[in-house]
Amino acid sequence: MKLKVAMVLRYVILILGAVIMLMPFLWMLSTSLKTQPETVKIPPIWIPKQLQFSNYVEAFKQAPFFQYFINSVIVTSITTIGQLFTSILAAFAFSRLNFYGKNFLFVIFLGTMMVPGEMLIIPNFVTLSQLHLVNTYGALIIPWLASFFTVFTLRQTFQSVPDQIYYAAKIDGASDWHYLWHVLVPISKSTITAVTVLQVIGSWNSFMWPLIVTNSENLRTLPVGLQAFTSDAGTNYAWLMAASTFVIIPMVILYIFLQKYIIAGISKTGLKG
Amino acid sequence: MLYHIDRPTSYIVVGNRLKGAKPLEVTFKDVTLSYDGKREILHHLNFTIPEGTLVSILGPSGCGKSTTLMMISGLLAPTSGKIFFGDQDVTKKDALARKVGMVFQNYALYPHLSVLENIEFPLKMAKVPKKDRKKKAIELAKLVHIDDQLDKKPGALSGGQQQRVAIARALAKEPSLLLLDEPLSNLDARLRIEMRQEIRRIQQETGVTTIFVTHDQDEALHISDHIMVLNQGQIQQFSSAETLYDNPSNLFVSQFIGEPVINTLDITDFDRELEGHVDAEILQRAKKVGIRPEALQDHDTGSETLTTIATKVKHSEKYGREKNALLDFHGKPLLTTEMRAEVADEQELPLYLQRHGFYLFDENGVRIFGGDQDA
Ligand SMILES: Nc1ncnc2c1ncn2[C@@H]1O[C@H](COP(=O)(O)OP(=O)(O)OP(=O)(O)O)[C@@H](O)[C@H]1O
Ligand SMILES: [Mg+2]
Repeated sequence: MKLKVAMVLRYVILILGAVIMLMPFLWMLSTSLKTQPETVKIPPIWIPKQLQFSNYVEAFKQAPFFQYFINSVIVTSITTIGQLFTSILAAFAFSRLNFYGKNFLFVIFLGTMMVPGEMLIIPNFVTLSQLHLVNTYGALIIPWLASFFTVFTLRQTFQSVPDQIYYAAKIDGASDWHYLWHVLVPISKSTITAVTVLQVIGSWNSFMWPLIVTNSENLRTLPVGLQAFTSDAGTNYAWLMAASTFVIIPMVILYIFLQKYIIAGISKTGLKG
Repeated sequence: MLYHIDRPTSYIVVGNRLKGAKPLEVTFKDVTLSYDGKREILHHLNFTIPEGTLVSILGPSGCGKSTTLMMISGLLAPTSGKIFFGDQDVTKKDALARKVGMVFQNYALYPHLSVLENIEFPLKMAKVPKKDRKKKAIELAKLVHIDDQLDKKPGALSGGQQQRVAIARALAKEPSLLLLDEPLSNLDARLRIEMRQEIRRIQQETGVTTIFVTHDQDEALHISDHIMVLNQGQIQQFSSAETLYDNPSNLFVSQFIGEPVINTLDITDFDRELEGHVDAEILQRAKKVGIRPEALQDHDTGSETLTTIATKVKHSEKYGREKNALLDFHGKPLLTTEMRAEVADEQELPLYLQRHGFYLFDENGVRIFGGDQDA
């Protein structure tokens, strides 16, 4: 009996948590189907009288969202792949190779993690403008091709792989390069998936940086493009939410497919002995 | 048997030793190793492992057995000294270039690959075509009796099964030198004996020079042509099993080899029993006395008997066909495995000390009496 009560309680709490987490999402969906007056009605309504699917069509007419989508896909995929590649190499070097100044370099890099991202915006902007990269794809991509957070996370995972596995690979005729791609990376699959997903989401949703370094319309990414609905005359929430729904759909799909890995990557880094 | 039959032709190209080609001889010249530059783990090792033999490295935990293997494989560079494969100096070559096969103490299987893929891995690195490598891997899996587990991941195998996968993987590229770091330590007693015979058979059939690390003397005695006894980073003795037992070069070896363990006494535990039977000059230098349990007979053996000693029976018992007795000799315990007559506890008993199995060691532990003096 006691067991049942605990069970029910557990589910109630879980459901409550899920509802709280889902609330903004549901609100977005519901608003995207409202009429303009309904969006500002107080008390708020959850289910519109009539579902306004036309909002989606209208929203798309307001800006070249397809171009924004392409831009987002380009920026997100190149930064993610690039960052993953550089981070895997760096993490391997820090975890396995011996080179002069390794620990010193590591501490310096670690120090950069303490600097808040906002503080880097201005120096990065200045650097890019001196390189004449402002308002190019380069500006959207290059600063994100390396991330010490990713390096650090991967290094921790790589270090948890026993030395003997590395030695065995050497004995079996694998070079460092082979060991890295045929053994270490597959072994660290869950961590790599987790950092990849974090990077994809971060890059896809990134707003401040693309806003600052680009001004031509054809370089805008989706989050920046959402501005189209905010004007001096106010914000059309229905259209904004319709467009937002469109923006987050890829992330939702990604999450549904990879949730197993994301959870595994976060809850367990390392190997079974 | 399986190791030879149906060898795919491409496989012969992969193995760096063709059948009939010369197996390797391994030589250490004054090799010293220190991990941290301060504490020396191995001191001036000098030895030659003859080609095509199976040599065991035997020693207590922490004596440097694994470290020695790591240097042979090229995973660890010696701090000083030289290593030769045949007459080729390989000191500066890394593991990739030395191409040995090795089974690690903790198997070191790739956790993300199945049993089959683990065995195939060295072949894949050697660019053997997919079909051939699968065939070879299955053959090897059969050899080590693991062919019913091919699709499992190492994490789903028992320790003994993992060990067998590791052996199969080491054999896959048919190395000219096979290094085994306690490969049988996790198997049950029966499988252990089976596998050690298997390893011996594979070694003899292929003629691959094999170095087998163990801390189990029984295993070493049964499997090897020669045994290297290592202690605290120094070679104590490197000889056949028989020589180790009959002519231990020092106290450590005499105590390490032999079951039950040799009786060890101080020379001062003897009154005058040895006088006249052992050279006075040798007696003068002797510090320790080693007496194998079978060197204490309860009857006169004529010329085999060195002398007699007076003891008192403390306890006697029968194990199978062996009859043991624990005796008291000047307050020190002595064990014999050679009791013939029925004896009662507390009974006085003169024992006939045999020449064979009686040793004297000097203050450095070096054998100065007993065995063959030139062995
Ligand atoms: N990577 C290392 N760094 C520093 N010291 C080490 C390292 N590996 C081993 N040692 C030391 O070297 C000595 C010999 O170790 P080794 O592993 O060769 O012993 P072993 O004979 O194989 O022992 P066991 O039977 O327990 O496997 C030990 O004192 C050990 O502490
Ligand atoms: Mg060891």
